[in-house]
Amino acid sequence: MAAGVLMPKQGITVESCIITKWYKQVGDSVKVGDLLFGYETDKSTFDCESTEEGEILEIFYNDGDDVPVLVNVCAVGTKGEDVSALRPDGAGATAEAAPAAEEKKEEKAAPAVVEEKKEIKVNNGEIKISPRARALADKEHVDIRLAEGSGPYGRVVEKDIRDLIDRGLTSTSAAFDAVKSADAAAVEGSAIGGRVGISDLGKAPVNPLTAAVVEDEFVDEKFPQIRKTIAKSMTASLSTMAQLTMNSAFDATEIMNYRASLKKSAEALGLPNITLNDIVLYAVSRTLLNHPDLNAHLIDGNTMRRFKHVHLGVAVDTPRGLMVPTIKYANLKSLAQISAEAKELAKMAQEGTISPDLLTGATFTISNLGSLGIESFTPVINPPQTGILGVDTLMTRVKEVNGELKAYKAMGLSLTIDHRAIDGAPAARFVKELCANLEAFSVLLAK
Amino acid sequence: MPKSQFVDPVELRKAGKITFEDIDVNVYNKTVKEERKNYSDDDLKRIYRDITILREFESMINQIKLQGVYNGVEHTYPGPAHLSIGQEAAAVGQAYNLDKNDFIFGSHRSHSEILAKALSCIEKLSDKELMDIMENFLGGKVLRAVENNGQNSVKELAIDFIIYGALAEIFARENGFHLGLGGSMHAFFQPFGIYPNNAIVGGSGTIATGAALYKKVNNKSGIVVANIGDGALARGPMWEAMTFATMDQYRQLWEESKRGGMPILFNCFNNDYGMGGQTRGETMGYNMLARIGAGVSPTQLHAERVDGYNPLAVIDAMKRKKEILLNGDGPCFLDVVTYRVAGHSPSDSSSYRTKEEIEAWKAIDPVIKFREDLVAAGAAKDDELQKILDNSTALMTKICKMASDVEKSPYIDFDKDPAIVERLMFSNEKIAKLDDREPEVLAPKEECPRVVQIKGKERFAFKDGKPVSKLKVFNYRDALFEAICDKFYEDPTLITYGEDVRDWGGAFAVYRGLTEVLPYSRLFNSPIAESAIVGSAVGYAMSGGRVIVELMYADFIGCAGDEIFNQLAKWQSMSAGILKMPVVLRVSVGSKYGAQHSQDWTSLTAHIPGLKVVFPATPWEAKGLMASALNGTDPVVFFESQRLYDIGEQFHEGGVPEESYEIEIGDTNLIKKGDDITILTIGATLYRAMDAAKQLEEKYGISAEVINLHSICPLNYDKILESVKKTGKVVLASDACSRNSFLNDVARNITELAFDYLDAPPAVVGAQNWITPPFEFDKYFFPQDTWILDAINEKIMPLKGYVPTTNCTPVEQLRKAKMGV
Repeated sequence: MAAGVLMPKQGITVESCIITKWYKQVGDSVKVGDLLFGYETDKSTFDCESTEEGEILEIFYNDGDDVPVLVNVCAVGTKGEDVSALRPDGAGATAEAAPAAEEKKEEKAAPAVVEEKKEIKVNNGEIKISPRARALADKEHVDIRLAEGSGPYGRVVEKDIRDLIDRGLTSTSAAFDAVKSADAAAVEGSAIGGRVGISDLGKAPVNPLTAAVVEDEFVDEKFPQIRKTIAKSMTASLSTMAQLTMNSAFDATEIMNYRASLKKSAEALGLPNITLNDIVLYAVSRTLLNHPDLNAHLIDGNTMRRFKHVHLGVAVDTPRGLMVPTIKYANLKSLAQISAEAKELAKMAQEGTISPDLLTGATFTISNLGSLGIESFTPVINPPQTGILGVDTLMTRVKEVNGELKAYKAMGLSLTIDHRAIDGAPAARFVKELCANLEAFSVLLAK
Repeated sequence: MPKSQFVDPVELRKAGKITFEDIDVNVYNKTVKEERKNYSDDDLKRIYRDITILREFESMINQIKLQGVYNGVEHTYPGPAHLSIGQEAAAVGQAYNLDKNDFIFGSHRSHSEILAKALSCIEKLSDKELMDIMENFLGGKVLRAVENNGQNSVKELAIDFIIYGALAEIFARENGFHLGLGGSMHAFFQPFGIYPNNAIVGGSGTIATGAALYKKVNNKSGIVVANIGDGALARGPMWEAMTFATMDQYRQLWEESKRGGMPILFNCFNNDYGMGGQTRGETMGYNMLARIGAGVSPTQLHAERVDGYNPLAVIDAMKRKKEILLNGDGPCFLDVVTYRVAGHSPSDSSSYRTKEEIEAWKAIDPVIKFREDLVAAGAAKDDELQKILDNSTALMTKICKMASDVEKSPYIDFDKDPAIVERLMFSNEKIAKLDDREPEVLAPKEECPRVVQIKGKERFAFKDGKPVSKLKVFNYRDALFEAICDKFYEDPTLITYGEDVRDWGGAFAVYRGLTEVLPYSRLFNSPIAESAIVGSAVGYAMSGGRVIVELMYADFIGCAGDEIFNQLAKWQSMSAGILKMPVVLRVSVGSKYGAQHSQDWTSLTAHIPGLKVVFPATPWEAKGLMASALNGTDPVVFFESQRLYDIGEQFHEGGVPEESYEIEIGDTNLIKKGDDITILTIGATLYRAMDAAKQLEEKYGISAEVINLHSICPLNYDKILESVKKTGKVVLASDACSRNSFLNDVARNITELAFDYLDAPPAVVGAQNWITPPFEFDKYFFPQDTWILDAINEKIMPLKGYVPTTNCTPVEQLRKAKMGV
């Protein structure tokens, strides 16, 4: 009896995933645990293993399709079995036109003259297109197979490409190149004016000089899902909150000495490599509970949800963009535990394998740009949290000690607060206490 | 016909008869002995010398052509060689009394004529004059090649110079008189009054007439000789030339200071053959060529037949004819009997004549016979004459060696300078006046009735948003008039003529008002002789004057085909820039007058290299282009349109300026800005295109950019391409028949130069490839506004809801091409 393989649900907040690539095709035999396809959420990529054994009878969604979680992605069973019961509503029929369907969400209102709602058809046959239209399609990364020729005798003209652009039917340059290379071997034009001539067909590229000349001045690339998510949350953050950033600095001599002393014996003691950032995380986890308005969520702009424990979000720079995994119950964890957990979470985030559930639930966030030499900045709050602490770089400062100028290392802190939730003075008191704790870190550890 | 002359029915219907004077035939009968009273022995020996130089020159080319070697000098010459072996005595006899102020024009067989004239000039000019001429010709280049080569005198040097320059020209060398670009049939040497020979039979007839006109109008000394062969007497342009040259008005109507006959001699070297056709007895019916003089004018052109095998007989005749011409009693006509012993060309096997005939003429060959006469008369010893003959052979051997040597006489180097001929196609000069004397006029410009009338006119077609009435608006013909009138008061050499230009003011009234201010010699009616009208303008201009001629309808271009296409277009470049051609040829595109009076032939003229072609469509364009054409030194075929003469300036801001201004020939005129489609027009089609643009805008929301191509050649594509790159779409329209319309050339260039910008191939809209039907059916023949919309709808961008009026589908296009319509 044929069975469906579901799109897994990766975390409680995930509603759908995009299939990035199928590893198997219809007709392939699979065993339980064989990799079927790769997929991504807005923050991570995963591979889906087969939960069934048999032959792949039908694939309901193609590469690039956005598939709701816990919906059948394919059917596995014995050849000839009926899979109609397994087929999700609406799937299958759209498979061929999948890229268009996905893009359709962004469709704008068609120009006034085109009243009827156009269906997108893909013309894989011979395409008659004017040079001007072709040039425009190239520039704007429009797949000319989607264009409906309104010129004489069905010729695709400039207007038809403009229609597609107006409807948002453009693709990334990479995808566009792929489409192009699928149609014909990508060749460098050696004909006059850099055009591809007959002699170029089937000829291996590449004349770098020619390529340089014909290359576009810029490349348009659509946001991947994660970037879209970041953009959305950043815009929401700055446009809905009253954010205020304050800067301070503390004498880092104590934590530097402490770290140095740990470093010598870390291996012997089985301790992780504790960084200055870990120390800041620890200090924050211990200081924050004294300032409950900063360990809180502001709900609907009028309700403060103050947390009993500290769940520390740690901003991580990944190749896919910014991710913020959470160290849950940080206030209950030791410095060594916090350090180890922070490293593990960062690693998963960077590899893109982190569970979406680990990317939520923070009550306060720490973002460190100090390692990149930033002296102060304005971190942007992850809503609905009420604060975020930026950790800045170490700077050399001088202070007067017994009438003499003495150089010391100072570390900057940049705190952004939601002024709707908390006023400046209480926030400043948090910073003051945090600085004091860090300057007397051994005392804090002892508490 | 001027009002001063009465066409009297009584006189015309009276009985009577025409009587003729006898025409002399070979009446010269003096012996050399008798002539020793009139000539020194040196003169007689020099006549013999010149005959032998001419003979040796032709023999040399003959041997080079046939055997590839002359006196040990090997050379291959692939070009033409129409030799005058046998005709030398006639040439020397003609040139004997001509000096550098007398102009000769020749035919394809004119080596002897130009060399004889040169030798005569060398004899008459002082050493200083000769040195000046040689130093100044092509910057002394030819002189440098021949000087310091054993010459004993300036005259000897000059003889080397002239023979070398001519031979280098024939051998296509850079040291030739015209860089070798003219060649055998077009060799000439202007500083000696030797004007172009012509490869078109009889081609010199009209051009020489124009040179005589130049001398007459500008009071220049000397006479003009049109050398033709007997075959040329069959050609229409020769008769037109004689008709033009004998007009009664020169004697009866022209102002006192210019009154009298045209100083031109039509000289026929009558060798009895037009190529292989025997003119007397086979292809013509005059029996004796001199007879035709009787049919041309009451003076019978002072025609006579003279023996061209006796140089003294020809000298005698020439002396008398020159006197007649200088006395203002021309033109004259000479039938000079001669014979070419060589074939028409080296490929001629003389299949049309007997050996006996050739031998009979050889027996009286002047090289032998005149030598015997000189010895017999005691004028020279035979060994002296033998020495002269030997010298001529040595001279020719020396020159042939030099001219065939590629080191000494290189070819022009196209590899090094590929644009060498390109630069010679136009002279592109701006010269406001070609002479400094005061222009001859009958009244100040301010008193010209037309100038007064124009003062009261509105110079823009709209006033306060309303159209100005037809009579009040400064129109297209006023614009032409204004530019032309200005130039008449500036350049004293400017003249204009054509059919009905004086009292009528031109068929389309452009010249109305000029009659009152210009003397006859500057504005006169010509016979209905289009070849002579254009050909004489060519001669007038190459002699140093500026001229506007009018052919009335553009359809008559065909009547002056050779004069426009071979003469007007080519002499600047064939002369390597020595001659200038400041001629404006006005032609008007008709309407309402059917198939032979309605054609736009811009494409024909634009096809011929060397012509500038313009077709203004608005008064602003007309005035600026005419001013530009009249300030220039190049031939401009100036198309006008009878649909346009009445219209005022509708586009140019501020209307047509009163002051003089120029529009550069080659520019384009942006009539209306737009974004979606470009419409390019030539001629009166502009106004239908504007109608089409309006409909596009109002009915289809399409914004059209309209550009008028008032210049066809040259044409600057910058603004056209800029527009097409913007819009991506272009339709081109003119009243020319669509097949081979110049617009196809523009369309091709746009396609090549803006291919990647095009949204559709350029669409050309032209007239049908039919005869022009009567005016009532204009809309079926000439492009209409709807045709432009049809082309856009069918070929460029379907117009929503548009119903086409014509069938311009590909199927129809193919069918028409297949049918040749």
